[in-house]
Parts: sequence; C-alpha cells; structure tokens
Amino acid sequence: MVETPPKVEIEKTRKRGFSAIALVWIIPVLALVVALGVAWQSYSARGPVIVVTFTDGSGIAAGETKLKYRDIEVGEVEEVGFSQGLGEVEVHIRLKKNIAAYVDESSVFWIIQPEVTAQGISGLSTVLSGVYIEGSWDNEIGTAATRFKGSDVAPLIKPGDSGLQIAFRTTTNGSLTDNAPIMFRGIQVGQIGRAQIARSGAFAITEGLIYEEHRHLVNSSTRFWETSGFTVSIGPTGADIDFTSLATLVGGGITFDTFVSGGDDVRDGEVFEVFEEKEAARNSLFTTSEVDPLRLSIIFDENVSGLTVGAPVELSGFRVGSVESLSGIVDFNQFGDSRVRLNVIVSIQPARFGMTGDASAETALKLMQDRVVNGLRARLASAGLLTGGLKVELVEVEDAPLARLTQSGFDLPIIPTTKSETSDAAATVDGVFTRINNLPIEELLNSAINVMNSAETLMSNGDLQKVPGDVSTLLSDISSIVTSEDVKNIPVALNATLTRVEGLVAELERQRIAEVLGKTLTSASEAADAVTSSVAGVPELVANIQTVAAKAATMEFDVLIKELTSLTSSAEALVSSPETAQLPVALAGALDQLNATLKELREGGAVQNVNQTLASARTAADSIAVSARDLPQVIARLNGLFAQAGQTIEGFNQGEELSRSAQSALRDIQQAAKALEKLARTIERNPNSLLLGR
Amino acid sequence: MELVGTSQKTVTARAAGLVACTRCARAWPLKTEVCGRCGAKLVSRDVHSLQRVWALWLVGMMCYVPANVYPMLRTKQLFQVDESTIISGAVELAQHGAFGIATIILVASVVIPLGKFWAIAFLALSVREKGGYASRHRLLMYEVVEYIGRWSMIDIFVVAILSALVQLQGLASITPGPAAFFFALSVIFTMLSAQSIDPRMIWDAQAGTDEASGNG
Repeated sequence: MVETPPKVEIEKTRKRGFSAIALVWIIPVLALVVALGVAWQSYSARGPVIVVTFTDGSGIAAGETKLKYRDIEVGEVEEVGFSQGLGEVEVHIRLKKNIAAYVDESSVFWIIQPEVTAQGISGLSTVLSGVYIEGSWDNEIGTAATRFKGSDVAPLIKPGDSGLQIAFRTTTNGSLTDNAPIMFRGIQVGQIGRAQIARSGAFAITEGLIYEEHRHLVNSSTRFWETSGFTVSIGPTGADIDFTSLATLVGGGITFDTFVSGGDDVRDGEVFEVFEEKEAARNSLFTTSEVDPLRLSIIFDENVSGLTVGAPVELSGFRVGSVESLSGIVDFNQFGDSRVRLNVIVSIQPARFGMTGDASAETALKLMQDRVVNGLRARLASAGLLTGGLKVELVEVEDAPLARLTQSGFDLPIIPTTKSETSDAAATVDGVFTRINNLPIEELLNSAINVMNSAETLMSNGDLQKVPGDVSTLLSDISSIVTSEDVKNIPVALNATLTRVEGLVAELERQRIAEVLGKTLTSASEAADAVTSSVAGVPELVANIQTVAAKAATMEFDVLIKELTSLTSSAEALVSSPETAQLPVALAGALDQLNATLKELREGGAVQNVNQTLASARTAADSIAVSARDLPQVIARLNGLFAQAGQTIEGFNQGEELSRSAQSALRDIQQAAKALEKLARTIERNPNSLLLGR
Repeated sequence: MELVGTSQKTVTARAAGLVACTRCARAWPLKTEVCGRCGAKLVSRDVHSLQRVWALWLVGMMCYVPANVYPMLRTKQLFQVDESTIISGAVELAQHGAFGIATIILVASVVIPLGKFWAIAFLALSVREKGGYASRHRLLMYEVVEYIGRWSMIDIFVVAILSALVQLQGLASITPGPAAFFFALSVIFTMLSAQSIDPRMIWDAQAGTDEASGNG
C-alpha cells in the first residue's frame, strides 16, 4: 500500500503591486546609476582636443607623451598621425579642462628632448622619461584655436614673457651664434635666438631678448659686439689673451656697452647691429650715420688686381666709404669696344662729407655731381706699398676733360675716372724689388764667405794654436812646482825628522837607563876598585860584592825591570794617549797648512827654510844619537870592570870557599853584565822594543 | 519503500507535504515557518529567487565589462609604467612563451566567468521550462557553477599577492588596477547570483512534466 501524502494546498504567496518586485533590483539599478554617473563625470571633465603639427614626431607616442606647461602636465597626446599629403606630423592632444581656455591663438608648442649645446645640457630628464611637448601661452584668455604649428626648437620669447625684445643684425665680418647669451659685465642679461640669414642674404639676423630686470641697460646709443672666441694680442705690454667666459669661448656670445649717455629709450622690435669687436662698436657710434649710403659705380679700364671688397674709398686721404662689390662689365654701346672693364660699386657715407643740414644720399649725390663737373675723378691708388692692396681715391684733377656724373635708368651713377696712380706705385714697388734684386747679394755672400775663411785660417794659425800649449806648459810648471822634489821631500824629511825624534825619545829614555846603569856600574866599579885596592879585606869585599851582586841580581834588576815596565807602560800610555791619537789629525792639519802655504813656497824660499829647519832637527837628533852612543862605552867600561874583577878574583883562587862564592858572585855579576849587554844590544838593535815591550 | 529509487516519478518534498531546511537539510512539515533545529527561515519555494538571480547576474555582467577594459595590474619599473588588462596580460605572457600561465589566466579570468554567466542565464531561463534538458544535468550544471565560481577569484588572489610582495620603493612596484576591483565585484555578484537559484525549482519543472506525462 503506497502511502500517498495528502495533497498540499499551494498557497500563492506572491504579493501584488510594488512589493512583487524584489528589492534585489535596487542593486543593479544602483550600479547602473553609479556607472552612468562616473561616465558622465569623466566625459564632462574631458578637455578639448587640439592638433599641433610638427615636422617630425621624434619620440612622441600616443597615450604616453604629455603636454606640459611650466613643467606641469596639462594634457596628453591621444593620437599621432600625418597631415594630408604626409607633409607634417599631427599630434592630437587632449587638454585638461581647466587650462583649455588659455590655450589660444598665441600659444606655442615645441618638443623637449635632451640637447647638448655649448651653453649646456638641457632636457636631461627626458632621457629617461621620454620626450614631452612643452606649451606656452599667456595668462589671458584669447581667441580659441584648435590647430597649432609646433616649433622644432624652444622659442626664445614665450608668450607672456616680459623683457626687451630686440633684433640683431650682423655687420660685414660679424657672426651670430644660435642661442648665445647676451652678457653685460660678465652677467647674462639676455639671450639671442636662432640666427637666420636675412632675405637679401647680406647679413644674419636674429631676435634677442633682454630680461626685464636689465631692460634699462639698453638704449639707442648702446652698441653690441660679439665676444665669441678669444683674442690674443701681442704688444709692448706682452701677450694678452682675452675671453669673457668659458661659455662664450665655446659657444659665442655678445655683449654691449653704452659708450655715450643720452640715448633714447628702446622699444620692442628695435634692430641693433652686432659688431665684430669692441673697437668697431665704439667707432661706429661716432662714425655711422642713420642715412643710407650713397652708392656709386666706377668703371676702371686698368688692371685692378689688389682691389678688394671693403677697400677704402678716400677723399683727400679721408675715408668716406668703401668698395661694396667688384664685377666685370662688357658694354659695346657705352664704351665703343668689347673690352672687359671693371665695374666697382662703392658706397659712400654722406655724413662723412661733413655737409651742413641734412646729409642724405640725395644731397650727397648732388654734391658729387657738382664736384665732378669741377674735376672730381676717381682713381685707383696703392693702399700700402708692400701689401699691394689698392684703394679708390677721389681726387680733383685740374684741367680734366669735362665729365658728368651720369645716371641712366636704374643703374648707379658712374663717377668718371682718371689715370690711376697704381701703375706708378706698382712701378715704385717694382723698382724697389728690382733694386733689391740687383743688390750684389752674391758678392756679399762671397765676401762673407771669404771673411769666414780668413777667420778660419786665423783660427788655424800655429801661434794661435800654441796658446793652449803655453797655457798647458804654465799649468805643468805649476804642477812641477807642486810635484817638485823639494816639495815632495818635505814629507820625507818630515818623516825622517819624526823618525829621528822618535829615536831621540827612545835614546833619551835609554840614556836615563844608561845613567842609572852608569851610576850603578860606577859604584860597582868603585867597589871593584876597592876590592882591587884592598885585597886584605876580601871577605868584606866578597860580602860587598855579594851584596853588590845581590843588589845587582835583585834590587837593580827589579828596579830596571820596574823601570822598563813603567817605561813600557808610559810609552804605551803615550801611544794610547788621545794626544798621540790626535797626532795624525794634527799632522794632517799641519800638512794642510803646508799645502796651503805651498803657493807661497816658491816666492818665500820656504822650502829651504823648512829644509834648514829639518836639517837642524836632524843635527839635533844626531847629537842625541851621539850621546846615545855612550851606552856601549858604558858597557865597555862595565866589561872592563868585570874583566878586572875577573882578574882580581882569579888571584884569590886559593881560598876555595871564598873563590867559590866569589866566583859564583862574579859569575852572577858576569851573567848580569851579559844580560845587560844583551839588553843593551837588543835595545841597540831594536830600540822599538823599549816602546813595544819586547 | 517504493518511493525510494523510483526514477519514473519524482516526488518533491513539497509534493510530499514537507519543506526542507536549505541550511541544515532537516525536513519539516509544510507551513513550518522556522526550522526547529537551526532557526533558519523555511520557505518551500523561493518565489523571488529568479528575480534575485537576474538582478545579481546583471550587476555581475556590468562589473565584468570594466574588469576587462581597465588595467588589472600596474607594473612600475624604475621609469616605466606598464598597465595591462587581463587579456593583454595573458597575450603578453603567451608572447613571452609562457603558454601555460597564459592559459590558466585566460581560463580562470575569461572562460570560467563567461561560462558562469552563460550557465546561470541558461538555468534561470530553463528552470521553468518543462522538459527540454534533463533535470539531472541541469542540477549538475548548477553544482559545477556553484563549485567553480570561487576559482574565478584566483586572478584577484594573484594580484593581491603580487601587490603585497612587489613593493620595492622606486625600483619596482605592482599595484592593482581598477579592473581588479571590478573583477572581484563581478565574481562576487555572479556567485551570489548562482546561489540565488533555488535548485528545487528544477524538480518542480521535472515534477510537472512527470505529472503531465503520468496523467496524460
């Protein structure tokens, strides 16, 4: 049985009306509202899109490149494309709404990218972050615009910048460097922009900006000149290198000064000339006039080699203008032949004529016409003798054929010419050169060579060559004096003297011994004499002899030895005494002194003196030696004494005891005498042994 | 028990006079308003279910659009800022040869969410339909959608981890883009939407067909 649950009533709990819609729908509605709100907000916050065209879009990427104004991001590149015909790059920039109104017609845009110039490195941050577009506009809302032409370089004068905006124009030799600084007293007070060649091609022109705070430095009498590079001048005061700053050295620059006071204020747009150097700028202040120069044509038939553009045009030596251009001209109608003539166009400063009143090209022309009728002619003249340069001279020629300053159509008025001075001048120069050429240069050279030759012969002359030989002889004489035997002998003699002195000392010492010995032996001999005289008193004699012998054996020898020892030690002390040690030093000093006096030796005959002195010293030593010779005599006497004593004692041979003791005593004495003799001989043989203790 | 295992005739709880608690699965007699066990509100059939499904589905769909348009990750390296949306990021990875990761990202962030939208819409549309697709398959689809829904958050998870890890001041940093926020919202709303489906309605339709076929 299947249990079927009861059928359940299904209640329709669905409620009617508003509540039937679940509250959950609020969520999607809310989401939708939020989404729409956000969408609307972001849409309404979007600024307008502007299109800036550049010649190339280096580094610009859609969605990445920013537009910055004073380094703050004010927009973003949305799209990069090409203009019609691929002529330019179009960059679509979405501006921020709050600044969009200021981006008006006057705005300028340029691309900032890393740049290395002489003035420094700029845009370094873009190396890493990529390029960006910089915009500049003033702070006033102007006429709205959506298409702009971007500039490749940063404009010098940005919209809204204040400062004196002037233009610069180069003179003939001047030059302008892009973006060079304008320095004043070493401080940058402005900057010039990118230089361009003027439409006429005659000069370069650029805009320049003097910063607002330095505006007052410039007035109408201010003159500018370039300071690029450096100048080296060598004058009486020495070499002088001058450059304003390193930046201008590398990149050029211009500076200015107001040489005179009283200039008028300068308005924006004024054009100044940039001179090549300070002097030119200063001079221009006093020489230039505001009026246009008078341009005239001069046609020369002659050779004009040496005439250059810029050559002076002088009136009675006073410069009134310069040559502007040179060209050939062939005009059959005008001249009647087809020769090539030279057409020189000169520009003349009317102000230089010193005319009263208005000095203008017209009045100057009138003046010239008048003067030409009166004989004013143009001619070529040498500007310098050696350079070969030419100048144009305006001279009044008397009796000149009538001529007029003619002007036909648009051609320039032509000044009639007269015979030039150039040929003369050239001839003069030629003459000078010819004369120089004719100078007997070869003869001059020949005689110069001859002079040299004879000088050489003179030099090689035997007499002249002997001079060194004489000098050499002289020197050798001097040398021989120094090395002469006499002088040489001095040390030898000195040496000998010293040896003798040494020997003398030794002898002296010995004499003292000899004295002592002499006394002793004298007494011994007296004793022996006494023995000889009184044989009776033999025992006493023997005793005496014994005592004598004992004395001789003991005391005297002891004393002798002691004395010898003391002598030896004193000699040792002498040898080892500092004085002795210093003796060589003293000797060296003495020798030095001797050396020093060697010069005087020759004149004063000092050598002889020394020799004499040494000789006398020698004699002294010899006499000492003679006295020392007494010692052998003493010994001989002693020997004699002993012999006597021996004979005496032989007489007493009977008494054995006596004779034995006497013999022993005598033997002792003999031994002592022998020892003495030996000693004396030793000393005689080798006196040094006294000193050396041997 | 005959009722058990019969495939011919499906008896719904409602047909059996019961109402199941959707939270603790305890069956109560019909008309019981509050589950005696867990205290949940008992409704035999959630009549607003489909409206909720559609409303949340719509919000999820709305969020999915900016999630794909706006960048998901902002990678800042020294001087370079890279912003990549989900798809461009996957394409970039594929270009670098990381096809596996690109596939995972594409599946988790594009295929699965889109599949979910389709599945929920299909279920919501077909729940009332009698016949047609087999109810069992629909239930399977529902369960798969429910289960797989949370894995869509893997993208958000990756972004969260990356932005937490890669914060080397100045050198490199990763920050979540606005798309991450919208993607998370989209996933949340689709999950809510999927949960709002009252799967019991599938069986109502089944029962209807059964009844019709049985009676007829």
